[in-house]
Amino acid sequence: MRFQDAARDARTVVYAGIQADRLVTRAADLLVEAAPLERLLARAAMNGERTDPAAWRAMFPGLFGPAVEPSLRSHAEAVLGVSLEVAGRGEQARSQYRGAVVEALTERLLARRSREVRRERRILFDGVAAEIHPYDVTVEAPGAAEAYDCKWGARGITPDVLLQLDAARTGAAAEEASLRVALVVFDAYRSCLVRLARETAPADGTYLTTIETMHELAVRPATLRARR
Amino acid sequence: MTAPRIADVLHRALAAEAVLEERGEEVADEWQYVTDLAAAWRARLESVLAARGTEPAPPGSADAIDAAADEAALIEDPHRAIDWLSTLPQIVLAALGERT
Repeated sequence: MRFQDAARDARTVVYAGIQADRLVTRAADLLVEAAPLERLLARAAMNGERTDPAAWRAMFPGLFGPAVEPSLRSHAEAVLGVSLEVAGRGEQARSQYRGAVVEALTERLLARRSREVRRERRILFDGVAAEIHPYDVTVEAPGAAEAYDCKWGARGITPDVLLQLDAARTGAAAEEASLRVALVVFDAYRSCLVRLARETAPADGTYLTTIETMHELAVRPATLRARR
Repeated sequence: MTAPRIADVLHRALAAEAVLEERGEEVADEWQYVTDLAAAWRARLESVLAARGTEPAPPGSADAIDAAADEAALIEDPHRAIDWLSTLPQIVLAALGERT
């Protein structure tokens, strides 16, 4: 098993520009320090209609209420500001920005426990045709590799995604290499289970991290099975 | 004015979810997912309703849920409605101090 940079085509060049955008890096830098409720605020505001911060503050008394510690409130204000900036990019662009934010956040969380974190990597196995689509984030630690596909919402869990993750897992197993494959979904665990319940693509060996638990990636690999 | 009970705010949330479900069903390929998703979150909200419905709503929660329901009502795009079908109940449960 070996890792390789993804081939760059026109789409990936355009997307690389979004991944490198200062807005994406600012959002990811803020969210890596965020409480679970702040991640929910980001999810809501990045995909909301209103741009008036007051409406969002009212929605989250646990972040902006009178009893909230000033440090948390201040951080939540920053999260809200950057989230509304993402929302302000317009319908077409913001879906790409949101995806890039989830990837960048995942990268930063994983980088807290590993120096072997890479983006947009293919995984190659001897005698097996390589998947064209790269994995969003990888941890390429010898003997304990991990591959993550990142999604904004549970709806992004598709048969193709599950098949690709499972192909990597089974390819690694055939070579007796260690590779944990996982989905990182910026959505509720409950919604992911609903999505997975009707998927027939293999997912028994795939792990799942959701908006409630993704901070745990900073200390350990994903530990929840995608299929219970 | 009587302070709202948890039942009052949850009924508002359930009504907003129903509107999102209807809007999300416009995405024909996702009809099953939308139906399943709405049912799962409705069941979760109804479980809170059954357990805590008569309690006073926690401070700030009625305004929070009103604001979230108002936001949901503005959503016209069916794809965004599907996204909010999951987001709205998370906000509601957070405001009530419940786990998702």
